[in-house]
Amino acid sequence: MNCQDFEKLTLALARDGLLDATTREQGLIHVEDCERCAARLAEERALLTRVRAVVAEMSGEEPPARVETALLAAFRAQTAAAASSTVIPAPSRVRRWSSWKLAAVAAGILILISVTAIFWRYGSSHKPQSKELVKTPAPAVAPGPRITPLPTVEPQEDREPMMVSQSKKQRKRLRRRASSEDPTEAEMATLFILLREGEDLSALERFSLVRVELPGSAINEVGIPIVLELANTTVTADVLLGQDGLARAIRLVGSNSDTESIKRDYGAN
Amino acid sequence: MKGAMTKPMVPSDAELLRLMLAGEEQGFTELYRRHKGLVYRFALLMSGQASVAEEVTQEVFMALLRSGRRYDPERASLKAYLCGVARNQVLLLMEKERPYVQFVEESDEGEAFPIMHLISGDDPLGDCARNEANRLVRQAVLALPARYREVIVLCDFQEMSYAEAALALDCPVGTVNSRLHRGHALLLKKLRAAARLDSAASDAQGMRCFA
Repeated sequence: MNCQDFEKLTLALARDGLLDATTREQGLIHVEDCERCAARLAEERALLTRVRAVVAEMSGEEPPARVETALLAAFRAQTAAAASSTVIPAPSRVRRWSSWKLAAVAAGILILISVTAIFWRYGSSHKPQSKELVKTPAPAVAPGPRITPLPTVEPQEDREPMMVSQSKKQRKRLRRRASSEDPTEAEMATLFILLREGEDLSALERFSLVRVELPGSAINEVGIPIVLELANTTVTADVLLGQDGLARAIRLVGSNSDTESIKRDYGAN
Repeated sequence: MKGAMTKPMVPSDAELLRLMLAGEEQGFTELYRRHKGLVYRFALLMSGQASVAEEVTQEVFMALLRSGRRYDPERASLKAYLCGVARNQVLLLMEKERPYVQFVEESDEGEAFPIMHLISGDDPLGDCARNEANRLVRQAVLALPARYREVIVLCDFQEMSYAEAALALDCPVGTVNSRLHRGHALLLKKLRAAARLDSAASDAQGMRCFA
């Protein structure tokens, strides 16, 4: 072994590192014959001794306790966050879907309300999509002045001339629908109120019935006075459209529980 | 065997890490307590500043919390992994401090940054050094360029194998070997120079005493 080869082994020899027995022995034999390499090895050993002294001195140096406290707080927060995200994913997806659905429904209602309001006010020729197309003989309605305020309506179905009578089939269908949605809440409605003075509904060959949700104030805006407690709530109404798409009559609809005021103030059928 | 004491099983790093990842606080606490000294002292030797060492220690274990799942026990020991993260954090922090610390151009012969700036004043190294010899060694290590300093700290002070150090530093084993040789040569040179300075200072003081 020459000095150049020995230099490569110096560190390993100094630290008694991983060297095979033969190489180690050759290195030590070289040191016996080479003063320079012996001094080099001694110097490396002295350096490592000094390093170990520093290591021993630093053995007690550790981070302050506040580091552990902060890390544990972070661990707990992360674990809690992970736990909540593990448990909730399915419900959160459902919630997201529901909100989209709700938004779509709300947008639909708003569009419907706008279209209906336009019909009421300006007699536009736009035809809104009807939820339910009822093909019945045109109801016989005698002409009469527009009622302001809403008349107190008796529950008889043949109250004329301000009301459109419903066919038995239609009433049955509405009743069945209401009872299938919630058997504990039967649907109640006022009689139909003409939107145009002197309108003759008997001239209609066919008509459509559209169920809409309206702010109470919107009912007021189209000229039908409404009690104060309904003005700030949403009101369900059926709008009767002629074959030309124009709104001809309206009635307010609600369940037994939420139409006490309707029944009280406007009557119900 | 009668009367035989069963030694309590010490869980491995991998087992503690598994517990930690499962949300068991005990797993994380044990891992932290087992390796906090290693990480802290590595950062302290690399930076020479207790504040940096503290920050690095916190960041390293935060990284373990965040990315513990990415650690591959098959590839490297946890010790090497933590030191690798610590090394990157130290270099980042030192880089951040560059505008505030007057660094000199790093070269093999020169100092990585002014030692006295880091050691003097409220630097904890001065408080920690209990004797002059140790203080000189630590100063000399700090004066090494980072690429040699990190290898010396890992292999000599942390007693890592060359292979482990290579994994921590993400470089070939041959690079670790060559940098360690070069780093030792530089370290010895600085220590010899420091010894000569000390000797000259003692002589001068002695001369004054006799004057």
